[in-house]
Amino acid sequence: MGEVLVITSGKGGVGKTTTAANLGTGFALSGKRVALIDADIGLRNLDVVMGLENRIVYDLVDVVEGNCRLKQALIRDKRYETLYLLPAAQTRDKNAVNPEQMQQLCEELSREFDYVIIDCPAGIEQGFRNAIAGATAAIIVTTPEVSAVRDADRIIGLLESEGKSDPKLIVNRIRPQMVKKGDMMDIDDIIDILAIDLLGVIPEDEYIVISTNRGEPAVTQPGSLASTAYKNIVRRLSGETVPLMSLEVRDSFFSRVKKFLRL
Amino acid sequence: MRQDVMFKGIGGNLQLLIPDQLQFTEALNQIQAKLAASATFFGKGSIIQIPMAEQRLNKEEQDQLTAVFSEYGLFWEAIEMTAKATDTEEGMAQPDDETSAAQTLIVEKTLRGGQKVVSDHSVLVIGDVNPGAEIIAGGDIVVLGTCRGIAHAGAYGNREATIKANRLLASQIRIAGVIARAPDQLNNPEYPEIARIIDGAVTIEPAE
Repeated sequence: MGEVLVITSGKGGVGKTTTAANLGTGFALSGKRVALIDADIGLRNLDVVMGLENRIVYDLVDVVEGNCRLKQALIRDKRYETLYLLPAAQTRDKNAVNPEQMQQLCEELSREFDYVIIDCPAGIEQGFRNAIAGATAAIIVTTPEVSAVRDADRIIGLLESEGKSDPKLIVNRIRPQMVKKGDMMDIDDIIDILAIDLLGVIPEDEYIVISTNRGEPAVTQPGSLASTAYKNIVRRLSGETVPLMSLEVRDSFFSRVKKFLRL
Repeated sequence: MRQDVMFKGIGGNLQLLIPDQLQFTEALNQIQAKLAASATFFGKGSIIQIPMAEQRLNKEEQDQLTAVFSEYGLFWEAIEMTAKATDTEEGMAQPDDETSAAQTLIVEKTLRGGQKVVSDHSVLVIGDVNPGAEIIAGGDIVVLGTCRGIAHAGAYGNREATIKANRLLASQIRIAGVIARAPDQLNNPEYPEIARIIDGAVTIEPAE
């Protein structure tokens, strides 16, 4: 039986969809069978980020309502053989599906796949409840901002009362320069409040914008810091011990010269 | 707020005390209201003990209780005697520390944002109180951790109530009817502090 991971956050725009796409692709690149589920019904994005939006014929709601078989709705990504996407519906909303249906769907998928990764919508309402229903583990994504951390805390509380304990944390879009200057929360501040295990840290990286526009997840293009960070997270989830990337900021050449000349 | 049902922590278990004189239908309404207010606090699957339930409630009443509890994913079980479930204890505001120590609600986990704990007596939290969490206590509040949420002690008018925490970083401190806001530049205290009303205003001092 495969693992069913839900990527959630509470706050919108912190990087759940990007994380789901990159972790899914990362696992597929290492040969695992992966099913991605976009649970954001009505505001679907995972298909765009994966570059698969033109191939959607059936979606999650069609499967749940019995309009098609699960196999017909799963889109196989031709670039990575073992990666499949179950897209959300765009013309419906989150009330079209209930938690029991999601749980059944996740069970069915986990029999065929090593990893089922669910992209959870923002919020704490029906969409969230649907997305977590079938999950065996949760990954919380947050940015180093007070508002995102507040929302993440709420989500952890809700997950605990639904019996999904021991979620893991990904801190996304960190800017080491700003942290060094004291303008941005650092990892320790975040863990002080959230008190869950840290899975990984992803630095702010312009390349993410490019990869989203191209529909090619960053993990497939080595060289960017975000790509390496996501790859490391995939390795950690697969059981390897990988040290956190050094995000040490080196002073620019001129500032080092200035320091040397004591200016 | 005289004869009210009450959730109490006794010896590590959560108990529901129903005063003898209270009509069952009224008790059921109160239980519904309390569960609705604190739904996320009671983790699903928790078992709540009800003293003398077998003796005091008939089959139909027990079934109704089960129905209400299962709405929130909770269970109850009947137990025999409990410590001091008499009239004089229930429903009376307990201003002084000694007697309320026995009825302190003990919370053995970190309170996350959006979770709320309400008690007629004192509350002891063994964990943190994160921003967005609330504690409302008729008596004192003690947090063996960092308190960043809202703490309201002496909620039923007891101005002698105090709030103590290992790190008191609460966004708002309320004692009885007095509300105090954290200063804009919160200096990080390295020692436990206690908040109490002195001369009509909330004052924070180091706790021994």
